Amino acid sequence: MLLFLLAAGLTLIFGMLGVINFAHGAIYMLGAYVSFETGRRTGSFLMGALVATLVTAVVGAVVEKLTLRPLYDRPHFYQLILTFGLILVLGDAVRFFWGPGYQEVPIPQLWSGTVDMLGSTIPIYRLFVIGFGAFISIGLYLLLEKSTFGMLVRAASSDAEMVRILGLPVGTVRMAVFAIGCGLSGLAGAIAAPLFPIELGMATNTIIDCFIVVILGGLGNIRGAIAASMLIGMVRALGYVYMPGWVDIMTFVLLIGTLLTRPQGLFHRATRTA
Amino acid sequence: MKFTKFDIYFGLLLAAASIIVPLLNPGEATIQLLTLAAIWAIFAVGFDFVFGSLGMVSFGHATFLGVGGYAVALATQKYGLPFYGGAVMAIAVGAAFALLFSFFALRVSGIFFALVTLALSQLIFILADSKLRGFTGGSDGISGVERPSFMGIDFYDPVAYYWFVLGVYALVMLVVISLRSSPFGRVIAAIRDNETRADQLGFNINRYKQITFVISGALSGLAGALLASLLMYMNPQMLHWTTSGDVIIMTLLGGSGTLWGATVGVIVFEFLKEWLSSWTEYWYGVLGVVFILVTIFFPRGIVGELEKAFATYQKNRRGGVQ
Repeated sequence: MLLFLLAAGLTLIFGMLGVINFAHGAIYMLGAYVSFETGRRTGSFLMGALVATLVTAVVGAVVEKLTLRPLYDRPHFYQLILTFGLILVLGDAVRFFWGPGYQEVPIPQLWSGTVDMLGSTIPIYRLFVIGFGAFISIGLYLLLEKSTFGMLVRAASSDAEMVRILGLPVGTVRMAVFAIGCGLSGLAGAIAAPLFPIELGMATNTIIDCFIVVILGGLGNIRGAIAASMLIGMVRALGYVYMPGWVDIMTFVLLIGTLLTRPQGLFHRATRTA
Repeated sequence: MKFTKFDIYFGLLLAAASIIVPLLNPGEATIQLLTLAAIWAIFAVGFDFVFGSLGMVSFGHATFLGVGGYAVALATQKYGLPFYGGAVMAIAVGAAFALLFSFFALRVSGIFFALVTLALSQLIFILADSKLRGFTGGSDGISGVERPSFMGIDFYDPVAYYWFVLGVYALVMLVVISLRSSPFGRVIAAIRDNETRADQLGFNINRYKQITFVISGALSGLAGALLASLLMYMNPQMLHWTTSGDVIIMTLLGGSGTLWGATVGVIVFEFLKEWLSSWTEYWYGVLGVVFILVTIFFPRGIVGELEKAFATYQKNRRGGVQ
């Protein structure tokens, strides 16, 4: 589910803006660090998650406004490459504030226990992550498919020129989408913080996982991303049980197989009928 | 592509600089840096053969560089081949990996091409980093990669090795120039400018792309061999996808698609890095800012902008005479 939260932001940005955001992993890292810092100062995990979401969303908005906006009319790869530059900047900014070492965030008190379920012991925090991911995915779906804002976003992505002629603020809509995508990623970072050590390598490692999910699900396809993140999760879980050490390889084999047979993503047809 | 007066002048300028600077006896660190730049320039020129000439963004070129490095390291250490045998291996292995990648990556285009090459190269990285540890030395890498010998010249001397690398770079440039001005190069440019039209004219587009990609892989493999030999060390970091990102930055900085852009980009990148890192340890971030600004305001890169300025200057001068 964590993968989904991450991939959702990435696929949202691609689907609506046509931008592949390489810096998504860096935003995720930033989210984790901000939540760590806020958590340390206020002692509250929720506060940390909230601040992380807000900060990354603001960073996203600023980045969109300053760097991406001049590039929408250029070939896609300029945006791709530009966001690669962002990784370098964000990575060093984080290193500047927090140094190169590992940081850790404790699991919040409220969800620190474990429960027994179907004969296995599961930390409550992991259940919370799953539930929260489900909640966000439903919220995102409602926002995009049912609200006026969602309608505007979809209109702007299919025909920006027409929306502009109708007198609606395309630029602002794009900025909002980018901010939401980054905010989701920052939130994912905050939620992941208690589970994994926080480190600088997060930026470049996570993004690869994100790409895998997004490609498997079909670029820009949010429901595909949900299904793909579950698929990857299952493959990994089974892999760790039966063949630990081959998990990464299996993930990539799955990815390459998908690209060879269904380059539009495994769940392409599902969107057509919708 | 047609070569303009600008290309010739600029080439002469670069050649003069690359010969004069080492003669001024600038110290070992500078020579080392120049050698590094020349090797990266081979890599970047090879990369730009796909990126600038064909217009496809590959995020997997780190693999070709890396396997080239491993080829030379393993061939000389485990199988007792001489350096040149290893270098030929590196070229062959770089080309072979490029061919392998092309089977997967050429099925998709545009942004998907970038993503597939990225995924494949990350797979290779993981393989080399952990799965094939016994073979590649894992993340510890392989140290003691040897340098070539040629008619009794000692290439462990930095200056001598610089001349060697410069010679290889000149050869590579000759190959690239002749390829680009050949009929083959024209077809490549046609595919970049209008793929559908090139297809309709009856060219086997996929075959042309594949060949370009393989040549690019071979050049990258060669660069990898030289790099491993310069550093006398080889580790998986060379295979990591951020290396592919670096070469893209360099190429764009200098101006992709232009003849000397990739080279100039590398030189600027390496010297900026050297200069910035003496000021601040956060040089990578500063470089990122520079790079973002260049992408937004000077999409043609340094050489591209110079070329434009030169063309305007020439036009004005001619206009004045008439």
